[in-house]
Amino acid sequence: MTDTALPLVKAPAAPGRERWLAVALAAPALLILLALFALPLAKLLAASVAGPDGPTLAEYAKLLGTPYYLGVIWNSVRLALLTTGIALVIGYPAAFALARARGAVRSALLACLFLPLAASVIVKAFAWTILLRSDGLVNETLLALGLIDAPIRMIFTETALIVGSVNIFLPFMILPIYTVVAQLDPRLMEAAATLGAAPAEAFVRVVVPLTVPGVVAGVALVFSLAVSAYVVPTLLIGERYPTLSTTIAKAYLLARQPTFGAAAGVVLLVIAVATVALSTRLARLGGAR
Amino acid sequence: MSQEPIDAASHLVVRQASKRYGATTVLDRVDLAIRRGELVTLLGPSGCGKTTLLRLIAGLALPDAGTVAIAGRDVTRVPPHRRNVGVVFQNYALFPHLSVAGNVAFGLTVRRRPKADIARAVDKALALVHLDHLAARPISALSGGQQQRVALARALAVEPDVLLFDEALSALDRKLREEMQGEMRRILRDINATAIFVTHDQDEALTMSDRVAVMNGGRIEQLAEPRLIYQRPASLFTLNFVGLSTRISGTVVACDGGIVQVDTKVGRLAATGRFLAGSQVVVATRPEHLRPAAGATGNAVSGRVRAVVFQGSRSLVEVGAGGETLLAELPGQEAALLAPDAEIRLAWPVSETFAFPAPEMAA
Ligand SMILES: Nc1ncnc2c1ncn2[C@@H]1O[C@H](COP(=O)(O)OP(=O)(O)OP(=O)(O)O)[C@@H](O)[C@H]1O
Ligand SMILES: [Mg+2]
Repeated sequence: MTDTALPLVKAPAAPGRERWLAVALAAPALLILLALFALPLAKLLAASVAGPDGPTLAEYAKLLGTPYYLGVIWNSVRLALLTTGIALVIGYPAAFALARARGAVRSALLACLFLPLAASVIVKAFAWTILLRSDGLVNETLLALGLIDAPIRMIFTETALIVGSVNIFLPFMILPIYTVVAQLDPRLMEAAATLGAAPAEAFVRVVVPLTVPGVVAGVALVFSLAVSAYVVPTLLIGERYPTLSTTIAKAYLLARQPTFGAAAGVVLLVIAVATVALSTRLARLGGAR
Repeated sequence: MSQEPIDAASHLVVRQASKRYGATTVLDRVDLAIRRGELVTLLGPSGCGKTTLLRLIAGLALPDAGTVAIAGRDVTRVPPHRRNVGVVFQNYALFPHLSVAGNVAFGLTVRRRPKADIARAVDKALALVHLDHLAARPISALSGGQQQRVALARALAVEPDVLLFDEALSALDRKLREEMQGEMRRILRDINATAIFVTHDQDEALTMSDRVAVMNGGRIEQLAEPRLIYQRPASLFTLNFVGLSTRISGTVVACDGGIVQVDTKVGRLAATGRFLAGSQVVVATRPEHLRPAAGATGNAVSGRVRAVVFQGSRSLVEVGAGGETLLAELPGQEAALLAPDAEIRLAWPVSETFAFPAPEMAA
């Protein structure tokens, strides 16, 4: 501004003030995050490069250079990818069913979704081991129906792992999608129809883009939960399928290799954060606003 | 009431259409026949079923009984996307994930038109509603009136056979609205689309349309040219809903050759109508027919001036007489001479006086 500017012209409501208000409002959350998250993270990073003769990347080299550990990383990613993919395929239509349901049906469906969240992951994983073991409910039923002659091996297989994992993390896919679907204006579908779009085309051109934010949230949630899951692989498949999280636990608890454990933890974190960032990015490129 | 016979030339025909939601009957055996290229306005109080009737025609709701036919084809069960009926929704229903241009292009994109054609049609439609400069804007960054114009452009761009406007101009200021009314008449003529225009604005209904349909409680009370709706209302409801009027209730004492003599609190009045002696009726006329008069041809009533409402070149004079109220529209100079509480005698011709059955007392 110059000196000739009219004194009556006011600057637009001081942006500095608004920014300070935002900082003030976020302060409590920021402090908690800083104390509970940033500090331990810094310690973790420091621990992961700690060597007897100063900082070293040796543990990272071991993780990223040994076929065995690359396999472990892949196991974690594979578990997360499969869980996320299957949960999305099941959860997307389920979210619509939930949003369309009315009255008692809706309450019942919401209860089905929320109640499992009240039970601990350990309980749910154990429930699956009970269902799937050779004298478990599933085998007994199949035997009784005469569909099989001998119990099939279900527990400690990858199938069991994926089934259990999808089951346990599914609500985290459905809820964010449901939230978005419930807010969709049904008039938009009607408008699309009067403009000549058949239901399937209207769905693809209107509903899908508008539900992208929910899908991104669900994918990010389920992926980061599944990639770092510990109880689920431990109870449902065990030693045969080492993941990053079980490896970290072993490094700390059994092998006493805290530097290696810390490095594996950092790798896990990077994968989770990268996925969240990537999916948000893809969603934006996909045209969702 | 005075429905025209459904002729073969009609482009859009709704026959005996009924719709109920639970216990409420929202549409009650509605008949409507509109010629190709005609513009009909639906006028009626809130909740009388206007939107519901449009939804039936667009295929967004199924009638419980009755049929909808377009160009001689029964479309009652044809889904909306195969009807080529455009709708401008009361709440716009714009696609929030698309830009202004994306919204307008939608109908053409799903019709798989070549890209160049789409771009040209979008430019044309946006120019019509004066929004060409906002083509790239996201919908969330538009004012209400701008959104309404995008909705108009979106519906017009596909050049449908039938266009339904649900209060499509309500969010615009007077000047823009009048401009749009003119534009839309022109566009509709160009694409020869049959159009129904829902509005709460009587002036809009009377100035824009070829015919006006007055709706009340799920029924069409009258479908006629604007002039007839105003000058020859078919029911007390239409008389009341469109324009101003003087209404005086009384009892028929004689009927002769389509003229009834009615005893009222302000004396005996004559009116056109056929009723049995003893019937309860309401005698009505429009304010522009009342003149200050000394002579006594036709009906005449004496009273006192209650109020004079200045309306520019003319004034509306409210006269109290025997507990009834008379409304007279007088030229400015004449009305200026009237002092409040002055004695005045008003007369009006019998040919402009109508008798309607008195509304039944609520049980
Ligand atoms: N889906 C529905 N379920 C139940 N009742 C409905 C439904 N849609 C409309 N109605 C009722 O039907 C009646 C007519 O509604 P409609 O929307 O057709 O009125 P309208 O004439 O368009 O009114 P307005 O001028 O206020 O827009 C109203 O009483 C309304 O409450
Ligand atoms: Mg309406």
